[in-house]
Amino acid sequence: MQNADDNENDDNTLGAMLAARGIGRRSLLKFAIAMASSLALPPGVAPLMAANLAKAKRRSVIWLSFQECTGCTETLLRSSSPTIEQLIFDFISLDYQETLMAAAGAAAEKTLRDAIAANKGEYLLAIDGSIPTKDSGVYSLTGGRSNLDMLKEIAADAKAILAIGTCAAYGGIPKAFPNPTGAVGVEDLVSNKPIINIPGCPPVPEVLSGVLAYFISFGKLPDLDERKRPLAYFGATIHDQCYRRAFYDQGKFAHSFDDEGARQGWCLFELGCKGPTTHNACASLKWNNGTSFPIQSGHGCIGCSEPDFWDAGSFYTSLAGGSATGWRNAGVAAAVGIAAGAAAALAARNKSRPDPEDKP
Amino acid sequence: MTNFNFLDDDQLVDALLVEVAGLLSRLIEDGEEGAIDLLGLPLSPFCVAELERRLGRGEISVELDAIGLSKIRETGFPGVWWTQHVDESGRVIARLIETTAIPKILRADVDDMKRGRKLLLASIDVAVKTSRSAA
Amino acid sequence: MTLLDFARGPAFQASVLILIAGSAWRVVAMVLLRRKPQFAAPRHGLPARVGGGAATILSRFAPRRAFWPRIAVSVVLSATFHIGLAIIIFGGAPHILLIRQLTGLTWPSLPKGVIVIVSGVTLASMIALLIRRLNHPVLRLLSTADDYLSWLLVFLPVLTGILLSGETIGGYATLLALHILSVELMMIWLPFGKLMHAGLVFAGRGLMGMNFSRKGAAT
Repeated sequence: MQNADDNENDDNTLGAMLAARGIGRRSLLKFAIAMASSLALPPGVAPLMAANLAKAKRRSVIWLSFQECTGCTETLLRSSSPTIEQLIFDFISLDYQETLMAAAGAAAEKTLRDAIAANKGEYLLAIDGSIPTKDSGVYSLTGGRSNLDMLKEIAADAKAILAIGTCAAYGGIPKAFPNPTGAVGVEDLVSNKPIINIPGCPPVPEVLSGVLAYFISFGKLPDLDERKRPLAYFGATIHDQCYRRAFYDQGKFAHSFDDEGARQGWCLFELGCKGPTTHNACASLKWNNGTSFPIQSGHGCIGCSEPDFWDAGSFYTSLAGGSATGWRNAGVAAAVGIAAGAAAALAARNKSRPDPEDKP
Repeated sequence: MTNFNFLDDDQLVDALLVEVAGLLSRLIEDGEEGAIDLLGLPLSPFCVAELERRLGRGEISVELDAIGLSKIRETGFPGVWWTQHVDESGRVIARLIETTAIPKILRADVDDMKRGRKLLLASIDVAVKTSRSAA
Repeated sequence: MTLLDFARGPAFQASVLILIAGSAWRVVAMVLLRRKPQFAAPRHGLPARVGGGAATILSRFAPRRAFWPRIAVSVVLSATFHIGLAIIIFGGAPHILLIRQLTGLTWPSLPKGVIVIVSGVTLASMIALLIRRLNHPVLRLLSTADDYLSWLLVFLPVLTGILLSGETIGGYATLLALHILSVELMMIWLPFGKLMHAGLVFAGRGLMGMNFSRKGAAT
């Protein structure tokens, strides 16, 4: 019997791809409900999201890795058990990704060129790693071409850019003082395209899948804060969502890493936790499918999703402390003061007319 | 971040129940479905347990085995459902109170039905062909 | 570099250095000034004179009963302010943390709620002192820019501190940066104005007491 099945023509939709793997619409609706909750959207939009996800056609994503450690790629793309997020990610990506694709060398470059040509104006450009700018960007090359040139050329025809990880968003580790390669983030080089920053060292994987689910469902990027981060995930600080917050409010602090307070799981403010000034979702979403995050493991937040966190002083100096000048500088300052004081006193002594009856 | 510290758990549970009653009225009078996302609220485990206890259990309890085992059941108040979605590793990914005649996720989807029909017919064909060749 | 990074980094270092250099200049310049020689023989030996200096430092904390009606208001307001500020600085956990970072010394802190209440009282006393300075005819005549600037540079840290601990308005990072910057402004001005009395008052009273003791006067 012939089926007048209009889905026959839509085999390249996400819904069809999932169904072919035995994942039906109920699973997609369940995923959409979870995504809506994670994105802080009203639960009523979940059916619409699920319908849009089912209808979604392949969207080309080109992933360029620049001056990076591959940590972002590892954390986001190599999860141990493929989840529906993994499958969605497989679906919408990845026309070009150097770490994961089988092609290499000239074949890989051809893949990149073909992908750009075929999807001009429509592809998402995902970037991890910073971009060195010094000496024409010679410090990070792919196939002999500087990442700086690659970014300028490939960003030109992209629909939107995802800067993944703190390096791509703000410069990250390579930008730390003295920044020998002149590393910068994507937003410092590209100004005429929508950019979304997903910082973190590495970023929380669910943030990327949430952003992609939103993009596929609604065709646009979610609401961003002034640092171009999705508000749904970066609106609150670690401090606001920390499970140890009650200890902070009660003034119960660990004073060292092995004292009684640390063992009791008290607040890590005195040990340098930057939770109050760091925006991210890791205090609630955590890493490795909700296993843990630094504070839960007994180490203060290092502020890895904020710009220049490597140059913000020691990880173990609390927010109440600053960077010391050192005794040598203090000695120099004291010497300068003493010299100035002596000079002033001398001038004053010479100016005052001595009483002839005074002994000198 | 809103500071909920000035409301104690009992007051929070009462406030949520008032909201549930409001949503239920809208369902009855206007046919409008509603939902409260409990994961989006800063509720303590005690609060969630107390809320569940106050809503109670109804006549229907459903296990949904799709990318993880979810539980959907009607509370002691018809039209008010308690839904908890869980992923493959057992982590709770959504917890909702829904006001509806029947949650959408329980209904079979048309596209799924079409695909199922295709597979069903294919399996009948195979069975017929197999029995014919055996005969 | 964010405002907070600047406040905790270069601004902190610069203000500490200016405070050290300025204080050294001020103290050395005073100590090396010519002093009027005293020809009379001293009444007491040096140890007794040192004791006299110490006695004067302490005795001047208590106002003389004869003057009390005239000075009651300013003594009460001023004592409230000074004691409140001391409680905030030496009892507040983040401040003890800073001192621990700089010197290694530490001691138990007071509960946050106590510090907040004391901060409120200190703020109120400072406002009252300002109003008094503006309304009292003699004080108004005598007041200079240094007086008002010193008041402002102490008021801002207490105000930003209370806002920060409440975490009510503004972002934590911004409030912390403003609090630290306001303290640094105070540190920079301190050696060059009347705020230097924080250290000089003890030297002044002490030397005066030693002089009195030398003459055989009461300390």
